[in-house]
Amino acid sequence: MNMPNETHVLRLRLTPQAYVWGRVCLVVCMLGMVTGVARADRVATDLIALYEFTEAKGDTVRDRSRAGTPIDLVIDKPGNVQWRHGALVIQRGVAIRSVERARRLTDAIKQSNALTVEAWVKPANTRQDGPARIVTMSDNTSNRNITLGQDGGKYDARLRSGSTSENGIPSTASPNNSLSTDLTHVVYTRDASGNARIYLNGKQSASKKVGGKLDNWNTRYHLILANELTGDRPWLGEMHLVAIYKKALSPKEVEQNFMAGGGTVITAAMRDTSAKLFEAEVAPILARHCLECHGWKSKKGKLDLSQRNLAQAGGKSGQVILPGSAAKSELFKQVLSNDMPDDRPPLSRREKQLLRHWIDTGAVWSTASIERSAYVKPIEPGGNWLRRLTVTEYIETVRVAVGVDIAEDARATLPRDLRADGFSNTAYNLGVDMAHVEGFAKLARTVAQRMDVPKFAVRFTKQRKFDDATLKPMIAAMGKWLLRGPLEPREIDAYLSVAQAVRKEGGDFDEAVSFIVEAMLQSPRFVYRVEKQRGDGKPQPVTGYELASRLSYILWGGPPDDALLRAAAKGELSTKAQVEAQARRMLRDPRARKHSQQFIYEWLDLGRLDYMRPNAKKFPKWEDALAADMRAETLAFYDEVVWKQARPMNDLFNAQVTIVTPRLAHHYGLTPGTSGGVTRYDLSGLPARGGLLTQGSVLTVGGDEGSMVTRGLFVLHSVLRGHVEDPPPCVDTTPVPTKPGLSQRGVALARLANPACGGCHARFEPLAFGLEKFDGLGVHHEKDHHGNTLRDDGELAIPGRDKPIKYQSSAQLMDLLAASDRVKQTMTWKATQWAIGRPLDESDTAILEDIHKAAQRGGGTYSSLLTAIVTSDLVRKTRTEPQP
Amino acid sequence: MTQRQPVSRRTAIKGLGGVAIGLPFLEEMTATSAAAAVAKTPAVPVRAFNVFFGLGIPAPLQTEGFDGVLEPLRPLSKKLLIMRNVDQVRCDEKGINAHFDGASGAFTAEPPDGEAKSGGPSIDQVIRKAHYPNGMPAGMVPTLVGGTFFRRSRVSRYVHSYNDDGTVAAAMQEKPRDLFNRVFGGADIPKTEAEMRRLRISKSVLDSTVEQYRYYTGPNSPLGAASKARVKDHLDRIREFEKRAFRMALHGKTPKQPPKSKLLHGGQADPGGQGIDITLQELTEEWRLMADLYALAIQTDRVRFGALTFLAAGERIRLTGRYEYAGRKIWDFDDSKQLNASGDKGCSHEWWHKFNEKRKNEQLRAHAHMKMNEVAYFLSRLDDADSREANGRTILENALFTVSTESGDGRHSNVKRELSGVFHAISGANGRFKTGQIMDVGAEGIDVYNSMLDGMGVSNRLGPARRDGRAVDGIRV
Repeated sequence: MNMPNETHVLRLRLTPQAYVWGRVCLVVCMLGMVTGVARADRVATDLIALYEFTEAKGDTVRDRSRAGTPIDLVIDKPGNVQWRHGALVIQRGVAIRSVERARRLTDAIKQSNALTVEAWVKPANTRQDGPARIVTMSDNTSNRNITLGQDGGKYDARLRSGSTSENGIPSTASPNNSLSTDLTHVVYTRDASGNARIYLNGKQSASKKVGGKLDNWNTRYHLILANELTGDRPWLGEMHLVAIYKKALSPKEVEQNFMAGGGTVITAAMRDTSAKLFEAEVAPILARHCLECHGWKSKKGKLDLSQRNLAQAGGKSGQVILPGSAAKSELFKQVLSNDMPDDRPPLSRREKQLLRHWIDTGAVWSTASIERSAYVKPIEPGGNWLRRLTVTEYIETVRVAVGVDIAEDARATLPRDLRADGFSNTAYNLGVDMAHVEGFAKLARTVAQRMDVPKFAVRFTKQRKFDDATLKPMIAAMGKWLLRGPLEPREIDAYLSVAQAVRKEGGDFDEAVSFIVEAMLQSPRFVYRVEKQRGDGKPQPVTGYELASRLSYILWGGPPDDALLRAAAKGELSTKAQVEAQARRMLRDPRARKHSQQFIYEWLDLGRLDYMRPNAKKFPKWEDALAADMRAETLAFYDEVVWKQARPMNDLFNAQVTIVTPRLAHHYGLTPGTSGGVTRYDLSGLPARGGLLTQGSVLTVGGDEGSMVTRGLFVLHSVLRGHVEDPPPCVDTTPVPTKPGLSQRGVALARLANPACGGCHARFEPLAFGLEKFDGLGVHHEKDHHGNTLRDDGELAIPGRDKPIKYQSSAQLMDLLAASDRVKQTMTWKATQWAIGRPLDESDTAILEDIHKAAQRGGGTYSSLLTAIVTSDLVRKTRTEPQP
Repeated sequence: MTQRQPVSRRTAIKGLGGVAIGLPFLEEMTATSAAAAVAKTPAVPVRAFNVFFGLGIPAPLQTEGFDGVLEPLRPLSKKLLIMRNVDQVRCDEKGINAHFDGASGAFTAEPPDGEAKSGGPSIDQVIRKAHYPNGMPAGMVPTLVGGTFFRRSRVSRYVHSYNDDGTVAAAMQEKPRDLFNRVFGGADIPKTEAEMRRLRISKSVLDSTVEQYRYYTGPNSPLGAASKARVKDHLDRIREFEKRAFRMALHGKTPKQPPKSKLLHGGQADPGGQGIDITLQELTEEWRLMADLYALAIQTDRVRFGALTFLAAGERIRLTGRYEYAGRKIWDFDDSKQLNASGDKGCSHEWWHKFNEKRKNEQLRAHAHMKMNEVAYFLSRLDDADSREANGRTILENALFTVSTESGDGRHSNVKRELSGVFHAISGANGRFKTGQIMDVGAEGIDVYNSMLDGMGVSNRLGPARRDGRAVDGIRV
């Protein structure tokens, strides 16, 4: 583990205030260990002088090493230089020298017997020599301690030691023609053993033995940049950074500084700030403003800003982000000048400030990649809506709570829950209309009438005396069950008043219980999942009862059972292990299996099949019952793969089995079963069919024509979690009809070749090539109705992956999808959104990574995924708002 | 076109058995302190409604004034301020075409925030919250949202009234019967003593329910702001329900429902975005019944805020039928045939994509003209004798009606062009705004809206708190 990682482990232990950052740091450390990626901060140990040239004006270059009394430098001819974006451009001869002698530096190096001179420079030409002084501690052209200079097409370092002259000769030089006029990272080191090295852009370029001690260094010399003290060895070019260490940097440290670019020393605290900024602000900024052109697919200028490694490597013109120095980062320069985003509105002033601050504090990436789909449609993280029970949850809750099946009535009475952001349980969209209020009242009455009230009441009291003393504890016990947690006295009194009204009207005990149930079923604590949302503005653990409800609604789609409520009462839902144990118990319950179907129903929008209206002329044999059969196929297939075979979720894409009705079997061209009921088919001998994407329920998303656009978008959005802009639908959006000699593939290829369309369409249409042999209703053909031969080969372009993967058949496509970690991640994201009932946003990304890893460690099954979700902080904690 | 007789307040009230519906709410008119504080003339409450029509009117066509597609608004021209050159570019959400973000920006001046959320409140709701900070008079529908539309992939394509947090202000009523029930629905009338007894006990059930909801909206509520607002919304509806269930029952009258809708609704109305076939007769018959009922709700003072939609943003219908106006044929609609395409590509909104100011754009003009005719139908229902109020003006003149749409050009290829010149028209709001003009305001929609809020005596503003706004004083009297 390298130094920065150790620093962060330490910080993880010592920083109690932010669990999030601790986790983020841990992720960073882990990623560092796994990938071996060089840290993007500079080496700070044994630094004794640092010049960043960020002054922007004036005649003084400040020493920012904080290593003692600063050794500031003065420009003797300010008119010969120009400050430009964090660099000093030396246009004519000038000497930049320390006001005082560089005694502090000399003493330190003499003591350590080792040093490093490092510079980020851009020579004006490859001709200046002498050597032309870049960095020197010397008195004149013949006496020096150290000089790093340019000698035509190479760098040259002269070091006074026990084995060299007072002029530092023999020198150490980089190879001929190794010097260019590009911005270059040049480092000279000499260790205590006498090993001298020159590194260019992070790689060793020359080495030499320069033995002897450095105790012969002259303490009277000044530190001078860009010239000899005598003014006759001028160097012209740009200086971006100069640093001196009292040790020889190791090759790894040199690489680290090279990766860090020219900038400030980055402390652990700064990295924390940077990481926080990245997650909260910068990733969204990059996602919204940059990734359209510099994302995984477009990569304009060969720059991909969507992934940490690639973003740090830079593009065609080199590094664009220099951690520690926004002023020197091309990305920031372009943004600052509004040259970027190209042909788009510029960043706001605040966004620019955030970007600058992020880079200046280290440009830390807290995640390996930016998930653009999490940012392009930002949801205010502050919006914390309590969740109304969906109609399905309401039905299940009534069934469990009082044993009445109210499904038919509820579906006829309550407004349908509408999909928002891909799911119909999205909390912000679970509003309440008058029809809900009327419906809840009417349904509560119906439920109460259908209940066996005496049998229900006896669960909570053995007495039947119709007085307050009997009723109060009965209400408390009944309320705890129906309302999923203990009642407060004010609530007990409110329900007692209902009983009193019954008594006043001459009613009896059972009638009172009936009306109390009616009241409770309309209570906000029944209709909603009420939680404490007030706090200090930070995430806080939910209470035991709240967690019990979260677990039960996520895993069962209904209320907690006695065991969960007991655990909540005893405080046995407070640790992750306790929650995990409950989750495992609950996942063994048939309710979990049944409820899990809701996930795939929502994810694939299987409700859409209710509204299919294929063109009767094109599909004269269509019957509406086929749509229901298609949905049933997918649900049965899901149950088979996920539960009966307990396979990983991603096997849904290539499992060679299906279960269909005779009608659908006939539609698909399979031999209908003889039993009259559904039949299980082993598809291993039929490779073209097998997996979700080959089922009619999914294939019909493409409409009558089996649109490659629509199918491709479905795969991109719902399977690969990719993002593509909504159209412009080019100039003329009228679809080109197929004809003899022109198949759907041909139409798509023409579209991809069109520069106006191809840029975006290339990201999703090829995803549907493998489905070309399936017509709009999912029937497999080798030729279309014109006689054109159909193909199923294509390319799979996975967001975040460098190159598309070719496939030769739809079966191969399904295998690729099933094996893709991107697909596995999508399952994690989709299931998590479904579980927590809100769109995921940028603040969730780190936790999602944890969930995903945990789920995959557990085999990637539905059970492991849901267990990872419910044991995560997304479920065990809640966002809070300060008291107004 | 439609042969149906319009529903008038007079006939409706007569048909409903007199005062059962209207009077309890008409009584509130004179008791509304907020209204009295703002309106100088008596008995005129503050009201604001958003009227949305899909696909818009390309800016070049707006310059033709009432001689072009705006012709149907000519009879109402003295009571409307037509605003041209209103810029909604700030509502652009990159990568999303104007069907969605332009529609979301109508009346909010904000881009969407999620598939079913606006980026901010709509003007009607800002006005409502300012003038009725403690809620609407008991029993009144807080916000009424209705419409005749078919495209529904995203909510802001068709809902045009939003709360402060961007969630929809009320559920969409898309069938005339549903809207009627929302406004005029009542409870079963108890006929026997047993039923009366049950009603009395049910009152205690409702009281306990109200108490629970009140707690969660009160100072000791454990809920955050968004949740609290949601529960408050629920409580408002319970109170409305309470009023309806118990007061109307005692009046002993419940209204008669309109007939069931014959059109497709819900998911069936938008089968996979492929569009539906519909005749002009079918479309306008249902819409006009919807418009009548919405107007009746306003006339009977059952509602003071909300939105009405005639065709959604990016609407996908394949319209057929002869369209006549003022005794002359305007066009024979037959979108699919004229576009030579089926499915979504045979739908009318393709005419907007094909708009070219150098061409005749006959089909687009006919559709836009028809839309203006239907918008005018609704507005005129509030400008008739039944709509005359105590100050001598009609509801159209007294209330604030804002008419707008999704884009100023149907071509998606240029965001600036698409979201510039978005058609707007407003009524005078009881003398607060100029009428009888077609004005080139040359301003951002957000500044227009905020100037309207200022004119309505509302201090809250749309958009970012730190934005430097520009008052569009030219629209004010």
